[in-house]
Amino acid sequence: MADMECRTERRNRPGTKTIDYYRWPEEIFEEMDSTLAVQQYIQQLIRKDFTAIDEILKAPDSQDEGVWKYEHLRQFCMELNGIAVKLQNECHPESCTQMTATDQWIFLCAAHKTPKECPAIDYTRHTLDGAACLLNKSSVAKLGSVCRRVYRIFSHAYFHHRNLFDEFENETFLCRRFTEFVTKYNLMSKEILIVPIFEETDSGSYIGHSAESEA
Amino acid sequence: MLRLAAHLDFVLTKHSFRNLRYETWRFNRLRFVASFAEKILAVKYGGVPFVSSVMKIPESGTMEDGPNSAPHNGQLGPSGVGTSSSSVKVNNSDDNNPRLQYSIPGILHFIQHEWARFEMERSQWEVERAELQARIAFLQGERKGQENLKNDLVRRIKMLEYALKQERAKYHKLKYGTELQQGDVKPPIFEDGIGGEPVDGESIFITNSNVNWRQGRQLLRQYLQEIGYTDTIIDVRSNRVRSLLGLNPAGASAEKEEQTGGGTINGGAGSGVVSGSSGSSAGAGSSPGDASGNSKRLSETQGRRAPAKKVPPASLAEAMIMDTEAAVMANFDFLAQEGVGVEVDDEDDMSDEMEDNTDDDTDDSATASNAATSKRNKMKAKNLRDDVDAETEEVLNEFSFLGSDTDDASHELRVQTDTTDWDRGRLTTSDEDSEWAMDPLHISQLKELYRRDRAKNKRGNVSRPKRSALQDVLNEMGLKEECGDPYSFFDTSSSTPPSPTAVSGFSGANSGGVSRRNVVPAPVTGPTPVGIGVGGEAAHLGGLAGLSSSDDESVDGHLGLGELAQLTVNNEAEVSYDISVNKESFRKTWNAKYTLRSHFDGVRALAFHPVEPVLVTASEDCTLKLWNLQKTIPAKKSASLDVEPVYTFRGHTGPVLCLAMSSTGEQCFSGGLDGSLQCWNIPGSNIDPYDSYDPSVLSNSLLGHTDAVWGLSLHSQKLHLLSSSADGSVRLWNPQSKSPLLSVFTSESDGVPTSVDFVRDDLNRMVTSYNSAACILFDLETGQPVTRLDTDKGVEDSVFGRQINRVISHPTLPLTITAHEDRHIRFYDNNTGKLAHAMVAHLDAVTCLAVDPNGLYLLSGSHDCSIRLWNLENKTCVQEITSHRKKFDESIFDVAFHPSKPFIASAGADALAKVFV
Repeated sequence: MADMECRTERRNRPGTKTIDYYRWPEEIFEEMDSTLAVQQYIQQLIRKDFTAIDEILKAPDSQDEGVWKYEHLRQFCMELNGIAVKLQNECHPESCTQMTATDQWIFLCAAHKTPKECPAIDYTRHTLDGAACLLNKSSVAKLGSVCRRVYRIFSHAYFHHRNLFDEFENETFLCRRFTEFVTKYNLMSKEILIVPIFEETDSGSYIGHSAESEA
Repeated sequence: MLRLAAHLDFVLTKHSFRNLRYETWRFNRLRFVASFAEKILAVKYGGVPFVSSVMKIPESGTMEDGPNSAPHNGQLGPSGVGTSSSSVKVNNSDDNNPRLQYSIPGILHFIQHEWARFEMERSQWEVERAELQARIAFLQGERKGQENLKNDLVRRIKMLEYALKQERAKYHKLKYGTELQQGDVKPPIFEDGIGGEPVDGESIFITNSNVNWRQGRQLLRQYLQEIGYTDTIIDVRSNRVRSLLGLNPAGASAEKEEQTGGGTINGGAGSGVVSGSSGSSAGAGSSPGDASGNSKRLSETQGRRAPAKKVPPASLAEAMIMDTEAAVMANFDFLAQEGVGVEVDDEDDMSDEMEDNTDDDTDDSATASNAATSKRNKMKAKNLRDDVDAETEEVLNEFSFLGSDTDDASHELRVQTDTTDWDRGRLTTSDEDSEWAMDPLHISQLKELYRRDRAKNKRGNVSRPKRSALQDVLNEMGLKEECGDPYSFFDTSSSTPPSPTAVSGFSGANSGGVSRRNVVPAPVTGPTPVGIGVGGEAAHLGGLAGLSSSDDESVDGHLGLGELAQLTVNNEAEVSYDISVNKESFRKTWNAKYTLRSHFDGVRALAFHPVEPVLVTASEDCTLKLWNLQKTIPAKKSASLDVEPVYTFRGHTGPVLCLAMSSTGEQCFSGGLDGSLQCWNIPGSNIDPYDSYDPSVLSNSLLGHTDAVWGLSLHSQKLHLLSSSADGSVRLWNPQSKSPLLSVFTSESDGVPTSVDFVRDDLNRMVTSYNSAACILFDLETGQPVTRLDTDKGVEDSVFGRQINRVISHPTLPLTITAHEDRHIRFYDNNTGKLAHAMVAHLDAVTCLAVDPNGLYLLSGSHDCSIRLWNLENKTCVQEITSHRKKFDESIFDVAFHPSKPFIASAGADALAKVFV
């Protein structure tokens, strides 16, 4: 009990104001004794400065890479919820009847027993739900396919709901971080990273994509 | 020649007889052939006279041989005579040419025809003979079976007799210290053969054994009375044995009757069997019929058990003796105990009466002891049977009559194990018989009315409280442990008149019917003395089972009180259904069964569907998820089940902090860190998780709070919502109206509200807790503080902070319960605002509270990673479960009770929710 008194308790107690939420002294990763330390650490970094992508993606020395990637992907999926909420208001099944980015590919929704052409909003929701399922079963092996699928949400938003995308990207830097992440850990091939997020021009470099009808 | 013709005629005529024997026919045929040859000779030689002399002999011989033939001939009547005369004529006219008359093919044909006919007849006789032989064999077999059965029984009786003598000797020795001289104390020897048994069939057997039986039974009765075995028991026993011996063929009809009228119920009612059958035949009125019905029933019962008890023939006689002896001894144990525990009534005269009656049985004894009552009862039963669709009032009257009556009956029951109750039981059952035909609604109505009536009619039985009162007491005192106790049940049941109990059991939760049906396959305990003494009705039965519960163990399987005891338990469950079921469900140990794994971040709140095994969780990952506990996938490692969400609610842009579910389960409300309040229409729990997006799920947002919304509470009747926010306000909303905000409550001096709840026993009030340790009751109408709970005391000097994390209102009592950061749970009286109780409940801050729907148990969660279940009566911890892992310094955010199912759940910072059963 004695050390509880001198210790700062990192809690979001009921009644905490929004600005005070998670606002507590940083905890050094090595001192985190929780089993959820990696998630805590990543979230702490993001909260500290969400634009510092390199900092965020830099794993602590001792950290197992698989867990690091896994926790990051969870964090991406979680944050992608924000773009899904925005899309729900804007991306209607009538206007976006298929999940497309460029005109080159129609993405089939893999959440179903037989992949089918879901409207973009359904594809987005289903993909996030499916990712939640997959990631909670800790199947690290499927990180690549989860990455490919969730990336299409970025690409759809970018090509079809550009304002929404920009707004979201400015708030979170999520697409940048994601692109950096998959590149760093070789989870996706460069050819299919079609959102020109690191290019100043909006012309969109339609680089020929490799095989991509994997659902 | 003429003579010859006459002879031929005669032969022909004779042949025309129908009843000719084969031998006769053969003889005649010889004769015929002979005469035929003669005739041929005559034809050949032109009627040489010497032949005729030869012919004389056979003719006379024929006449002598068949003296019977002559009268036959005479009797033959016109046709025969006619034939002969005509043949004579023919013969006369065709004297010279007989070949025309008797051609060889014609005669051969005739012979063949006759032969075939006789053969056919012979085969018919043989078939008949075989049939008769088969029947003889069958009957012989049957008789053998009966004799075997009887031998078994005689053997048993002898054993019993021997055991009794032994017992008496022992008793005598113990009492007087000397050996008792009682002549022939030697184990009965069982001769194999049928020996002294009557060989010639059942009729003699019956009469004989009736006499022997009577004597033997008298002797037995004497013995049994010495050791306190009541007459009723003996009678029931004897009845059973007699029925086994097949002495009551009349039973068949009675049984049939019973089967038509609610037989299943009666038959299933365990020891109610006897009274059940008598009840159904009570309409007919005549006691012999009843009796035979009973005994037949009993025989059936016994028959079912017979195979197991079948005694092997004399080769195993010794082993069997041992067995039986053991059984008898067990019986005596029971009897001895009963002799101590239960007053033994002394009704020799009655037993004598029964003695006189060949079909002495329960009914008769009842009639003898309480003729007037039983007569009335019978009439009642009759009425009831006739008027199944009787008017409510009529039935009600009968109920009230029953009420006072059974009241007496059960009173008697307590004083002595009286035979008078048998009839009562029977009446009850027959009541039920007619009752079953009525619709449950009607019954429940009647039940209610009846209860009221009965409360009035109740005569001074101070020792037995009313059922409702008893339940109240149980409720108040929390006599959970006592509930399982047969004695407490005894009280309940005996204070509850039998028939309505059964009816309530039937209409409520169907458990009555079920439990009754359950008993059916069990070895029927009908003839058990106790059971019969109680009557056919379950409640009565339970009553006495309770009375004699101490004997249960010592009673051997023969008596089958084990089943009785079970029945009691069943019945107990149904009688006190409303309280005990829930109590039971929370008395158990909770185990984690479902793991809800899909959120990406801490689960801040959860709420159960009011009815279905469905819940919603709200998480810091900005989503809410809907879970159907019936859609599970088995987890790989553990015994628990993983559940996948059936729906994900997306609408919040920040962590979701609080959640409330409407009482219909159709809507839920969530408050987020972004200050938004979202109203959701919950999709069906069987929705495809990957269905297309339905924007109508998010019905609307309640805007008004300017900071994180931390607390939500829903009015239990109308759809009013209270929300507490970090902006310092508590708001009352009507989410369905166009201007949803109804009122705002602020108390700036007290800081930021942390949690809010409607005061459940006074829904015009709400209680709000603050991070300043204040806790205030507001009047929702005026918006003014009503009571300020005395929460400051004890909190001020705490090093853990003054924060109250959660406040909830007890569902039934004027009690407010608060969860404190300083590890305490505190209880406050709403009226006075005084602290009622305080306890250090956890090792770390208490974060969440939930009270079960009955208000008996409290669930608390803490950042010490555990949830604890508390008994609200004595404020003791019933169970502690370590449930969630820590993220930063937080662990458990919310706990919940399912409003109607035995589920509890916890939500944690480790992004999991867990459901315990």
